[in-house]
Amino acid sequence: MNPMMEVKLELDLMRLLHGELPEERARELRAQMERDPALAEEYRRLQESWEDLALPPTAPVPPGFAQRVTARSRAEQTASTPGWVRTAAALALILGTIVGAGVGWTPAADPIQEEELSTVDGSLAESYLTTLEDLEP
Amino acid sequence: MGADLPTDPGWDALERVAAGDTGAFTGLVETHQERLLRLCERLLGDPEEARDAAQEVFLKAFRKAGEVRPMGQVYTWLYRIAVNLCFNKLRRRKLVRFLRFETDPEEPGAPAFDPPDARPDPISALEARRRWQSTRKAIAKLPDNQRAVLILVRFEGLSYRQAAEVLGITEGAVESRLFRAMRRIEADQDREDAQEKGAPRFPRTEGKR
Repeated sequence: MNPMMEVKLELDLMRLLHGELPEERARELRAQMERDPALAEEYRRLQESWEDLALPPTAPVPPGFAQRVTARSRAEQTASTPGWVRTAAALALILGTIVGAGVGWTPAADPIQEEELSTVDGSLAESYLTTLEDLEP
Repeated sequence: MGADLPTDPGWDALERVAAGDTGAFTGLVETHQERLLRLCERLLGDPEEARDAAQEVFLKAFRKAGEVRPMGQVYTWLYRIAVNLCFNKLRRRKLVRFLRFETDPEEPGAPAFDPPDARPDPISALEARRRWQSTRKAIAKLPDNQRAVLILVRFEGLSYRQAAEVLGITEGAVESRLFRAMRRIEADQDREDAQEKGAPRFPRTEGKR
């Protein structure tokens, strides 16, 4: 058999092994293997090599993976909010606090700081700090 | 390639992600995290690096959610991002080693994670470890494009069509790469067997057919 035909036949054997050969050709090849022990042996060899390939189980999904990824995506989203929006929000917050203090009302706690403590990603806190940095001369 | 075009509800989830629904994004990550982490670990050979890579894959998907054109299954799109990202990491790793004059013939198959073996029989456990080690070594020697095809088809159970979709190549190219990979692995194993036992495991004779 010429080398090209040999490669073609080996490719068909591989396709058969992987369930990728059209049914008609698969039937032909199975019949051919029954008549040709060398071809059947070639198929057995290919099958053994394929099944011999094994890798250990991979590490389990770390707990909280999806939440951490989501937190990072939120942080990115926040960071991509236009600067003027963040600046305006921070100014409004500061102005509100000053006005509140002027009329004798003091917030029980800085909600942003609370958020910083409670959120996994701290994205609001990050945005807050970035805004404050932006406001510095 | 587009036979399963409208079926994957993941595309709707991605649309919601693009509209700013982070809950939809969490759901998407939860659906695909296991297979993505597994693929990255198979490609990189290191669970910690795989975690970083998988995270990066999802973040890229998050950024691209509004641009992607629904085609096939969402996971094949995510796989494509993962394969490209992992190969970039491997190339960087090789470059760093080259610049430091380091060699690592086992690369990328030296994972820090040593999986517990559930087999009660120590002989079969030993045999399993021998096979893992030999497969890792064989895969590490393959060129990137052959390694990717082999991992996707053999270990991720993808069809040729799906692997082609992930890699952006034709089914014929998948077949050819897989074929070359298997030939190479068999030749390596024959050589190893010959060195160990003095005889090849699968003796081949020229022109037997």
